Amino acid sequence: MTADAVVIRPGTAAEVAAALKEASDAGQSLIIRGAGSKDGYGRTPSRIDVILDMQRLNHIVAHEHGDMTATIEAGASLRHVNVALALHGQTLPLDPPFADRATIGGLLATNDSGPLRHRYGTPRDLVIGVQLATTDGTLAKAGGQVVKNVAGYDLSKLIAGSFGSIAAIVSATFKLAPRPAASKTLRLHVRDIEALSAAIRTVMASQLEPVAFEVRAESVPDVVQAFKPAVLVRFASLPEVVNAQVEHAQAGLKACTTSMEVLDGEAERSLWKRHASELWDSPGAIVRASWLPANIGSALGELEQSATAGHAAVSLAGRAAVGAGHIRIEGDTSVQAALVRQLRASRIFGNIVIVRGSPELKAGVDAWGSQGDRQPLFDSLKRALDPNGTLNAGRGPL
Amino acid sequence: MDRAFLDELRRIVGDAGVLEDALELLTYECDALPHLRETPAAVALPSTAAQVQAIVRLCARAGIPFVARGHGTGLSGGALPVAGGLVIALARLNRVLDIDIQNQRVTVEPGVTNLDITKAVAPYGFYYAPDPSSQQVCSIGGNVAENSGGAHCLKYGFTVHHVLGVEAVLPSGELVHLGGSLADTPGPDLLGLIVGSEGTLAVVTRVTVRILRRPEAVQTLLAAFDSIDAGGAVVSDIIGAGIIPAAVEMMDSLAIRAAEAAVHPNFPDADTVLIVELDGPAAEVRALFDRVEGMCKAHGATTIEVAQTDEQRMRIWRGRKAAFAAMGRVSPNYYVQDGVVPRTRLPEVLNRIRALEARSGLRIGNVFHAGDGNLHPLICYDERVAGQADAAVEVAAEILSYCIEAGGSLTGEHGIGADKSRYMPTMFTDADLGLMQRVRAVFDPGGLCNPGKVFPTPRLCGEVPGPYRQHPAEAAGLAERM
Repeated sequence: MTADAVVIRPGTAAEVAAALKEASDAGQSLIIRGAGSKDGYGRTPSRIDVILDMQRLNHIVAHEHGDMTATIEAGASLRHVNVALALHGQTLPLDPPFADRATIGGLLATNDSGPLRHRYGTPRDLVIGVQLATTDGTLAKAGGQVVKNVAGYDLSKLIAGSFGSIAAIVSATFKLAPRPAASKTLRLHVRDIEALSAAIRTVMASQLEPVAFEVRAESVPDVVQAFKPAVLVRFASLPEVVNAQVEHAQAGLKACTTSMEVLDGEAERSLWKRHASELWDSPGAIVRASWLPANIGSALGELEQSATAGHAAVSLAGRAAVGAGHIRIEGDTSVQAALVRQLRASRIFGNIVIVRGSPELKAGVDAWGSQGDRQPLFDSLKRALDPNGTLNAGRGPL
Repeated sequence: MDRAFLDELRRIVGDAGVLEDALELLTYECDALPHLRETPAAVALPSTAAQVQAIVRLCARAGIPFVARGHGTGLSGGALPVAGGLVIALARLNRVLDIDIQNQRVTVEPGVTNLDITKAVAPYGFYYAPDPSSQQVCSIGGNVAENSGGAHCLKYGFTVHHVLGVEAVLPSGELVHLGGSLADTPGPDLLGLIVGSEGTLAVVTRVTVRILRRPEAVQTLLAAFDSIDAGGAVVSDIIGAGIIPAAVEMMDSLAIRAAEAAVHPNFPDADTVLIVELDGPAAEVRALFDRVEGMCKAHGATTIEVAQTDEQRMRIWRGRKAAFAAMGRVSPNYYVQDGVVPRTRLPEVLNRIRALEARSGLRIGNVFHAGDGNLHPLICYDERVAGQADAAVEVAAEILSYCIEAGGSLTGEHGIGADKSRYMPTMFTDADLGLMQRVRAVFDPGGLCNPGKVFPTPRLCGEVPGPYRQHPAEAAGLAERM
């Protein structure tokens, strides 16, 4: 699909803008690429003439540690950025899938995040300014370098979730967080979905302040009571604060768990590493899904039922209190497609987007699904900013 | 605006929902930036989203510009009417529609006040985090338009971080749902764009916000210093130590005296006071509060008052939040700006403001969110003294230029509105503003939705910059500030 594509590696903002304009003027199709960790997202691409590889634009333009902000070029990898920020005890608190490779531009364009979202939000919550290039060759900025700023439209929000379909991100400025001194994770094992719901309700109603709060569930087809749910609660702060929070959590959660373990150090690190990659390491389609946090019980119940009926192995991992995460669906294409359709028809789940799936699956069900009454705005936004349809090769969402 | 338009308006909202009497229109001439005034042709008072939709459709058909208004507490003239246009006042859309404690979200109509959301959920131990000083009276719809902040946004963020979804009427009259109760609406973050767009993209008719659990502990201190530099050094130490307080506020001697005269918070008579509030898990607050107190002492705090009771804490905050209104005690008029500088540049910019104060002969009180560098210089003047009002505007403009030179922003939370649109080219290039305008046209191709705000417009010939004079042509109803 990309064999014939020309690869352009811009080294300056002006080169990004020029490449977009040239492609647009020539009626070419161009995709913007960071590390390619999300190449499979969205619809199956149509013709790709140009790949704009952003990896040469990989500098930290400024780390204003006294102001806790950093301006970073789009092609810089999150991992390298965080190594540099750590020199001043700070971090860009994002832990998306493929965090080892993901670039800043890709993260913002897809608004991707991971367990730390519980405390810090998604890239759109952390971004405070952006420099964009549009297909008419314009370089424009919005927002600024200060954390508090309401001057003009915040286009750094608009670009979050646009998947490279309306403009290219050249650089972005983020507010940062201090690196916590200590961290511990409580892993809860629960008997069943009801106990899982109770554990989640308990944490949400408490005054505990975890940095991450995850729910996991995996099913095996054709097994009754298939789901093996678990909850991870991570605390990060001063050592004595972490210990106090863990103790509070243990006391409050005793009634709804079968066992609890406290992990720290290397064991904790490897737990989170596993948690981040587990869903993606096995084959199967992966969808993004949302639910109301208090509906986790019925959400898993529904998922279990669909999985059993469709003979599909299903796994879910997500943010318990946000009500968002990923579901992996194993099985053949027709099984996957049926489950995606069921999830879209569900009254519990919403915003089902295929982020990994075969072209056959995507041919059967749209990767993005219906956008409801937002669609006309998306259409006119695309016409306004990318009138020749240059960007993102039909992968969507615009 | 002709008879037929007004008749149609009455059919939509009833006779009691339309105001066109000159006396009744007075209320709607301005928001909380009273020196910018304009009389609208009429005011509509819808009480349902469907009525808002019908009104906007009518305006779109007739080509009548409209301005949505909440409770009129904005400080940048964002709700300034358009001459010959319609004001859509949303005060009657004031219902709390859904309180969902388990999922920690509340859905309200735009006319509900900020504080009423907290009041609705306080019995369950929750609150709505953004807390602009006007929170008792300002509407959540206005907060969405302005992306309002408040003293506690250093730790908790702004309105945009707490709004999960809105229902809004586009300038075409179409109803859209952006964001929602469920996370991760696919596609570009139109919700994040609408929040802070100052009513120029749509009229919001329903807002879903997230609410937060009250923190386990809160501790507040008030420390007095001999200089702003000493206070500023404490703030640097706090941030440098990786501590993110819930709030860090500073007031200078003029603001302290004004607050003292107005609400008697018992503030010490000092050059500078610093208010630091920490919240969170009790163990964390305990540990960090000791460190903050130590930093205050290390930088020569002359007094440190630690609030021992809720009552004491409220008193400190009353003094801080009353600071604007209190300026009336020390000056007949004042003009406030809310430029932002990178926090590390605060001492330098404040010293420039002090030098400007000496040079201009106008007193300038300073109350500011020190943690995020958001200044609130209160420029005192007497409009009865010839030239002072203009001088105040010039001083304000100069302060904003300091902010931009330091790499900051024209506004941290009050918005650009009609007040600062002419300064936008000092912060943004033509290309920046052009891209924003292209986005605006996606929503409002006819330019009817709150025109004349945010973006600079060519000035009427002969018009002097500054908010105090109406152009003669405008006064005669012959021209509009579009």
